[in-house]
Amino acid sequence: MTNECVSETLGDYVIVRLRGEVDLSWSQQVRRAILNALGATGKVGVELSEVSYIDSSGIAALVEGLQNARSKGQQFGLVGVSKSVMAVLQLARLDRVFPIFPDLEAARAG
Amino acid sequence: MSAGRRAALPAPTGAGEQRALDFLAELIQALALSVNLRKTLAMALGRIADFMQAEAASMFLVDPASGLIECRLCVGPVDIVGLKLELGQGIVGRAVAQNVTQIVRDAQTDERVNVRVDAETGFMTRSIICVPLTTAEGPIGAIEVINRRGGGLFEIEDSVLLETVAAPAALAINNARLVDSLVEQQRIRRELDLARRMQKSLLPKRRRGKFPLIGINLPAHEISGDFYDYFDLPDGRIAFLIGDISGKGLDAAFMMVRVASLLRWSGKEGTAPGQWLTRVNNELVQTMTEGRFVCALVGHYDRRTGSVVFASAGFPPALLQTQAGFEEFIADGPPLGIAPKIEYGQRQLQLGGNALYFASDGATDARDGSQLRIGDTGLRNLIARHAALSPEPRLRALVGDLKRLHLVDDTTVLLLQVPRGQSTQVLLDLRFPAQPEEMRNMRARLRETLDGQAVSPEMRDRLVLAVDEACTNIIRHAYCGCTNETISLRLTRERDMLGFELRDNAPAVDPNRITARDLGECRPGGLGVPFMRALMDEWQLQPGANGRGNVLRMSKRLQGEGDVETNT
Repeated sequence: MTNECVSETLGDYVIVRLRGEVDLSWSQQVRRAILNALGATGKVGVELSEVSYIDSSGIAALVEGLQNARSKGQQFGLVGVSKSVMAVLQLARLDRVFPIFPDLEAARAG
Repeated sequence: MSAGRRAALPAPTGAGEQRALDFLAELIQALALSVNLRKTLAMALGRIADFMQAEAASMFLVDPASGLIECRLCVGPVDIVGLKLELGQGIVGRAVAQNVTQIVRDAQTDERVNVRVDAETGFMTRSIICVPLTTAEGPIGAIEVINRRGGGLFEIEDSVLLETVAAPAALAINNARLVDSLVEQQRIRRELDLARRMQKSLLPKRRRGKFPLIGINLPAHEISGDFYDYFDLPDGRIAFLIGDISGKGLDAAFMMVRVASLLRWSGKEGTAPGQWLTRVNNELVQTMTEGRFVCALVGHYDRRTGSVVFASAGFPPALLQTQAGFEEFIADGPPLGIAPKIEYGQRQLQLGGNALYFASDGATDARDGSQLRIGDTGLRNLIARHAALSPEPRLRALVGDLKRLHLVDDTTVLLLQVPRGQSTQVLLDLRFPAQPEEMRNMRARLRETLDGQAVSPEMRDRLVLAVDEACTNIIRHAYCGCTNETISLRLTRERDMLGFELRDNAPAVDPNRITARDLGECRPGGLGVPFMRALMDEWQLQPGANGRGNVLRMSKRLQGEGDVETNT
């Protein structure tokens, strides 16, 4: 699975779709994509169902997005979190900090 | 000539009896309230002498240690404190020995009276009453009054009076002795406990990992006459020793301390086991006290060749347990400390994967349900029962069995066996550029390797995350991002223990400066170290050899994970 980071705009909602293994080699790119999305709209989701691995730098990018959104009263959530990403979120005790949605529909309904 | 001992008070019918009762009440109160029994008894004895209208009075107590009766207090013209009498000797000796009051109406013609004291002191003994100080456990001494003042003689009635006043004195002395002995017992128990801990501290510490020797010592009482020890020789061989001092108790325990250190010191240079025993024997023969001796076995184990050499001085047979059964090796000479200039032989064998047991005779002297010695056969059966276990749990199970039997002597077992599956297997040895782009490949290789170890996918992912975090920390913090340097990763397995070793060539990092943030805190960054800490059982960062680079070692025990032994 190749690494991929694609942002898609659906009305007032931007979904940042991540694929592959999020690690130090490109977590800065993920971070920028999330911050750009939050600059463009008030509702952002990060789609993680195709992420097979995430390290602490990837988690850090997600945390930064959440904090950024909260400070500006924006919506930020994780969508379709894969099992392996969930394991890391749980390890970092962040699984209850992020709003987590099973799919895009639920995320957009917020 | 002697009056029977009477416990009952004389009936209070006249003025004399009333006087006796008043005096008795006063005496009992004084003794009951006494804070200094010796002082109170001295006072009481003076009052008894006055009450009995005696010229002299003395109190004798039996010394439990010597069995002699000693004068502890006296009033009157002659001081006989410290006078010692044999049981049955003289009036006092008879009173105590027979537990019967003695009355001497005319001392000068009575053969029971020891007139030696009179001859030495010039005191003229005319008339005596001596009553034993009686307790439930028998007489503990006697009170004696001598010569009625004014020249009269003592009568039977006087002896009854003295018996009456002696009773509370006996009670008070006995109570005080019981309290003293209780305090003394507690003191002795405390000291024995200290001695036991001191002895225990002389035994070698249990060594972990690949170390092939384990010993257990079970004292029959607080302290032990058995010992064992092992230590490294300069050439890498391991020296070991086990011994048993004849006899039990404090003297054997003291001797054990001396002999154990003597054996250790004389074995330090790696002298061959036979000569080692000869040397210690020559020293012990000169200093051993009458009738004592030491059964000891000493030896060397060479880890490189698997060869074991040992020599035994009267120690019970060493037991080699192989697939085929037991092989026995009897002593090479007599116990140490008996005869000088003994040459001890020694024997050599290849240990292989076999178990060699050295057990003091306490193990074979253990008693079964019928109080019979379990003997060599019993010990072999116990060993065989746990053959499936690895050395440490097997020895513990064996000792547990022995404990459940009745141990009559100090029991020590030393087991020499190379732990099974102890060789460390290298599962992965990688060296890669310290760059973030390399991590993905490293993770793939690591996943593949862990899958080969039958590690569960969840555990595998956790371990991969920990190693990845460690590598990215090296890249970011040790190499500070930009580098052409490399990272080495070595994954090893020893039984169910996975070992991860990461080496870099970056300037040494101070391990104390690595701090982990609290995982409960929500902020980006700083998660790497807490991840490693949470995912691994242990981790440790050390400077590399010659102060260059860093070595990070992490380990994880696979419990219920990948139990498949791959290297046995």
